[in-house]
Amino acid sequence: MVSEMKIKAVTWLVIPALVILLALVLYPTVYLWGMIFYSYHPARDPYPFFVGLKNFGILAGDSEASYTILAMLALVGITIPTQLVLGSLLAILFTARNTCGKLGLKVLLLIPMMIPAVIIGLNWKMIFFSKGPLNGLLSSLGIPPQPWLSEPFGNPYVVLFSLAVLDIWQWTPFITIAVMSGIESAPKEVYEAASLDGASEIRTLWHIVLPMIKGIIVIVLLLRIIDSMKIFDIIYTLTYGGPGIITTTFPFQIYKTGFTLTSAHPDIGYASLLALILLAISSCIAMIIMRLFHIEKLIWE
Amino acid sequence: MQKMTVVLTLISWIILVVYLMPFIWLIGTSFKPIGEWGAPYLVPQNPTLRNYVELTTGGIYGVRGHFPAITSYLINSIITASVVAMLTALFGSMTAYAIQRYRVGGTTFATWILSLRMIPTVAILLPLVILTRFLGIYNTLTGLIFVYPVIALPISTWFMIGSFKSIPREAEEAALLDGCSELEAFYRIVLPQSTTGVATAATFAFLFCWSEFLIPLLLAPSESAMPLTVFAAYFSNQYGILWGPLSAAAIVIAIPVIVIAIVIHKYIVRGLTLGFIR
Repeated sequence: MVSEMKIKAVTWLVIPALVILLALVLYPTVYLWGMIFYSYHPARDPYPFFVGLKNFGILAGDSEASYTILAMLALVGITIPTQLVLGSLLAILFTARNTCGKLGLKVLLLIPMMIPAVIIGLNWKMIFFSKGPLNGLLSSLGIPPQPWLSEPFGNPYVVLFSLAVLDIWQWTPFITIAVMSGIESAPKEVYEAASLDGASEIRTLWHIVLPMIKGIIVIVLLLRIIDSMKIFDIIYTLTYGGPGIITTTFPFQIYKTGFTLTSAHPDIGYASLLALILLAISSCIAMIIMRLFHIEKLIWE
Repeated sequence: MQKMTVVLTLISWIILVVYLMPFIWLIGTSFKPIGEWGAPYLVPQNPTLRNYVELTTGGIYGVRGHFPAITSYLINSIITASVVAMLTALFGSMTAYAIQRYRVGGTTFATWILSLRMIPTVAILLPLVILTRFLGIYNTLTGLIFVYPVIALPISTWFMIGSFKSIPREAEEAALLDGCSELEAFYRIVLPQSTTGVATAATFAFLFCWSEFLIPLLLAPSESAMPLTVFAAYFSNQYGILWGPLSAAAIVIAIPVIVIAIVIHKYIVRGLTLGFIR
């Protein structure tokens, strides 16, 4: 059979990527599954030892881990809606009328989302610094300066919002640019017809353009949800999970448990269990997303 | 009407400048001498290039901290990101071609690769540290080049699937009829037609590797392999933060990315959404 020969030759093309990815993903997953029955702390144990289901017992009583899952979800809950609203409003403003220098606006908007997240973290550490520009601005407005990274407005949990500001700042432009290209891709006739019918610009956007670009918004949002669950760099540089564990999200807790051994239950076996839970959570969300994406259509039609 | 346009343009630009203010502040601080680092004004009164000069020589600030010269970290970043960019663009194109034209692995394979884009890296890094130690490539550039594809390959593969989809099949089919093999058709006919796509995929892989922090934080703890992103953490310790050199380093790290972003601005949204939005 000729077609089978064809497929065989082409299959070789996949081998390098397949081998690399299997080594980088499958091996770790198998390793994690094995490690959850072991306990190992490099400073304490000469080698991993079998503990059966003990790690599950630790998990059941680990309020720190459950807090960090909530913190992760809270961060997603703060950042995504804000980005959506802010990003769309900016897009509507930037595409309204014949704003001059639209391309310039778009290109400059790329800056926050393209600079490495580590830099964003260090940049904002400077902005939030006790004698930094933000507090300078506030005091010139007559508002008392706030300790943004420890206890703003007398409540340490507000630091979660300080942290969220970074992600919002970095990725709102992503929504803006995506929505802008959506609005611009709608045929001119749509706007002309709507304005002839006497519809206001806002109504046109809401009733005609929004339904047209719904697909774009859904895709961008889903990718944002996935990525904001992965947030790590800005936590590491801005707060290192503090004060206490308030800005420690689940990925950061795994890092602390497995790599720095500074969490409540520092142990590589236990960290493996947490890592598998994170993989399970993100796989569920990934699966939902891929249902919505209709892979077959995307690749072959 | 005309007035309205002027007003809206003005408002848009003012909002944009205010929005970018944190970054503008970073630029300002990078030119401030030590006495002005924490000063509450943007434009330095005695602008200096010392922060940038010190990046090339290293700097010592007593108990406030010190930092080594940036050179070797810059080289580490350039080498790892470029090699990974080339490798993943190549392997990604090959995989994408097999998936897009011949349905190798079917939906399952394509979906699996896409799902890797969504995996939180921290979850799989613990075993990868052990694997690289076992292979003797822990804390080496080779180790980073080995692990970076976990973020770069899914992106470049999916980006190339989108590119191949938009390339017409006629020339390829004619070549196949002429007795060209499938692999020849790929690298003689299809690849030359999609150079822009491959270049963009490589650029995205480069950007992602250049920005990566977590993987090198755990896999490259010393100077021999540490890239710029981890180096940036040198400027902050428990005694304080060396704002001036830190800002200068941040600008050095950000500039290539911004330049690249401006050059490929047309493809950014497409790249970041893995080709889902064009």
